[in-house]
Amino acid sequence: MSTAIEYFQFVLAPQMLIGLVLGVAVILVALGLTIIFGLLDVINMSHGEFYALGAFIALALGSIGLPFWLLLILVPLVMLPVGYIVERGLIQRVFHSGERHVTTLLLTFGLGLVMEDAFRLVFGPNPHKPETPIVGAIDVFGVFLPLYRLFLIVGGAVVVALVALVVYRTRLGAMVRAAAFDRHMAASLGVPVQHVYAGAFAFGVALAGLAGVLLAPVYSAFPTMGRDFILMAFTVVIVGGMGSIAGVVVAGLLLTQVQAISSLYISPVWSDPIVFGIMVIMLMVRPQGLFGRLGHG
Amino acid sequence: MADALTRSMRASHVLVAILVVASLIFAAIGVVNGDTFYLRLGTEALIFAGLALSVDVLLGYTGLLSLGQALYFGLGAYISALVLMVTPSFWAAMGATFVATIAIGAIGGFIANRVRGVYFALITFGMAQVAAKVVYNARTLGASDGLIGVPIIKVDFGFAAISTASPAGFFLFTLAFIVILYALAAYLLDTPFGRLLIALKANERRVPFLGYDTVTPRLLAYVIAAVIAALSGALYPMLRGFVSPELLFFSTSGNAVITVVTGGVGTLVGALYGGILLTLMKSVIGSYTEHHLIVIGLLFMGAVIFLPRGLMGIVRPAIARILERRTKS
Repeated sequence: MSTAIEYFQFVLAPQMLIGLVLGVAVILVALGLTIIFGLLDVINMSHGEFYALGAFIALALGSIGLPFWLLLILVPLVMLPVGYIVERGLIQRVFHSGERHVTTLLLTFGLGLVMEDAFRLVFGPNPHKPETPIVGAIDVFGVFLPLYRLFLIVGGAVVVALVALVVYRTRLGAMVRAAAFDRHMAASLGVPVQHVYAGAFAFGVALAGLAGVLLAPVYSAFPTMGRDFILMAFTVVIVGGMGSIAGVVVAGLLLTQVQAISSLYISPVWSDPIVFGIMVIMLMVRPQGLFGRLGHG
Repeated sequence: MADALTRSMRASHVLVAILVVASLIFAAIGVVNGDTFYLRLGTEALIFAGLALSVDVLLGYTGLLSLGQALYFGLGAYISALVLMVTPSFWAAMGATFVATIAIGAIGGFIANRVRGVYFALITFGMAQVAAKVVYNARTLGASDGLIGVPIIKVDFGFAAISTASPAGFFLFTLAFIVILYALAAYLLDTPFGRLLIALKANERRVPFLGYDTVTPRLLAYVIAAVIAALSGALYPMLRGFVSPELLFFSTSGNAVITVVTGGVGTLVGALYGGILLTLMKSVIGSYTEHHLIVIGLLFMGAVIFLPRGLMGIVRPAIARILERRTKS
C-alpha cells in the first residue's frame, strides 16, 4: 500500500502536474478557436499565429517598459480591432460562397503563412524569452512548481470561467448563441448579426492573444510558436466538440493527462501519435465531439 | 454533341499540350547550356505537380479538401527509397508503391470517408500528422534524418534505358510520367464514374435516389488520389537520392493545396501549371529575399478572394470558346 502512495507521490503526481500546466495552456489557445468555429463555422487556421501575435505584441510593449500585469489587459484590447478588421475585411469576402468551410479555411491558412513570415521578418527566427513576472517556486506533493505556473493554472481557470459567464449568462452571450443557432431568425429578432460575427471573431482572436501573453514567459516567443500548440488545440476542439466551452476544458485536461501519463510508460515520442490517434477515432465514431456545438443544446 | 464538361476538359488537354511543348523547349535549352540546376528544379516542380493533381482529384471532383495528401506522397517516397536500396529496379519500386498504396489508401479512405466537409479536412490532416510523427521517430526509417543514399538507377524500358542521374533525361521521363497520370485521371473522370463523383460533389443526398451507390465511388476516388500522390512521391528519391520526414509534413500538403487553388480547382491542368508557377516563384522571389512566404501567402489569399476559380479558371474558358468556334466553322 505504501509503495502505491509513494508511486503516486513521486512518479504519477509530478507528471500529472506538468500535464496540468500544459493542459491549461492548450485550453487557453483552444478556447478562442472553438468560439470562432462554434459561431462562425470557420476553421481558423491562423489561430496559432494570432496566439504568436499576442506574445510578440507583449514582447514589444514589454521592452518599452510596460509592466506584465498591464499587458494582460492591454494586449487583448489591441487584438480586438485586429480581429474585427480581419473578419470584416477578409473572412466576410468569402464567407457567403457555397463552400464556406473550404474557402475560409484556405484564406486563414494563407493569412497564417503571411503572419508567420512577417514575425520572422520583424523579430528574427530565434526565440525571445520575456522575464518571468513571478519568481520563486513552491513545493506541491514534493514537486518543485514555479509560482508562475501555479498562477497560470489559477489564471487559466479564471479566464475560462469568465468566458463561460459571458457566453452563457449575459445578454451579449445570448445574442452570440442565438446567431450561432439560426442567424436569419436572430437577425429578424434584431440581433445585429454582422457585428456579432465580427465581434465573436475578434473575441476569439483576443483570447489567443491573451494566451500568447500568458504563455510566452514559459514557452518563449518565436515565429513558429503557433504551430506547436495549434495541432493540440485543434485536437482538443474536435474531441471536445466544436464550439463547446465545456468540451474544450474536459478534452484539454483529458488529452494532456493522457499525453503526460502515457509518456511515463512508453517513449514520449509516441505521445503525439496517441493524441492524434484519439482525434482520428473521435472523428470516426463521434464527429460532433464529446459535447455538442455552441448554441445547439 | 459533347457536353460542357467534355468541352472544358478538351481545353485542359490543349493547355497540357502547350505545357509539354514549353517543357520540351525548356529541356532543349537546358541541354544546350549544359544545365543541371534548373532541369532538376523543373523535375521537382513536376513531381510536386503530381501531388497537387491528386489533391485536385479529391477537391475538384468529389469536393473533399484533403489537408493530408502528403501522407501518400511520403509513403510513395519511402517505399520507393526502401525498394531501391534493396534492388535498383524502377518497376519493382513503382509496383511496390502501387500495391502498398492501394492497401493503405483503402484503409485511410475507409476512415476518412466516414465524415464530410470540414471534418474530412481535419481527419486527413490528423492521419498525416500521425504518420509524420511515426516516421519522424522510427529508427529503422532513419528517424529525423530520413533515408540517405538511394542509388542512381536506370529506368529500363527493354528497348531503351534512362538514367535518373541524367538531368534532361529524367526531366523528360518525369514529364511523360506526370502527363500519363494526368491523362489517366482525366480519362477516369470523364467516364460515368467521374460524372458520379461530380454528382456527389453537387448533392450527395440526392445521388442515392438516382439509384447510385455513394460509398464505393467516394472510396475509389480517395484511393485513386492516394495512388497518384504515391506514384509521384516514388519519383522523389530517384531525383534527390534521399527521403526525409519533411515530405510527410503539413507544409507539403499545404503547398499542394496552395498549388491547386491558385492553379484552378477542378481543372486538373491547373495543378500542373500551379506547381510550376509555385516552384518558379519560390526560386525567383527566394533569390531576392528569404521571406518568400509573405509574397506567396498574399498571392494565395488574393487568389482565394478574387480568383476562386484560379488561373486556369480564367484561361480555360477562353480556350474552350476558341475550340468551340473551330468545331462550328
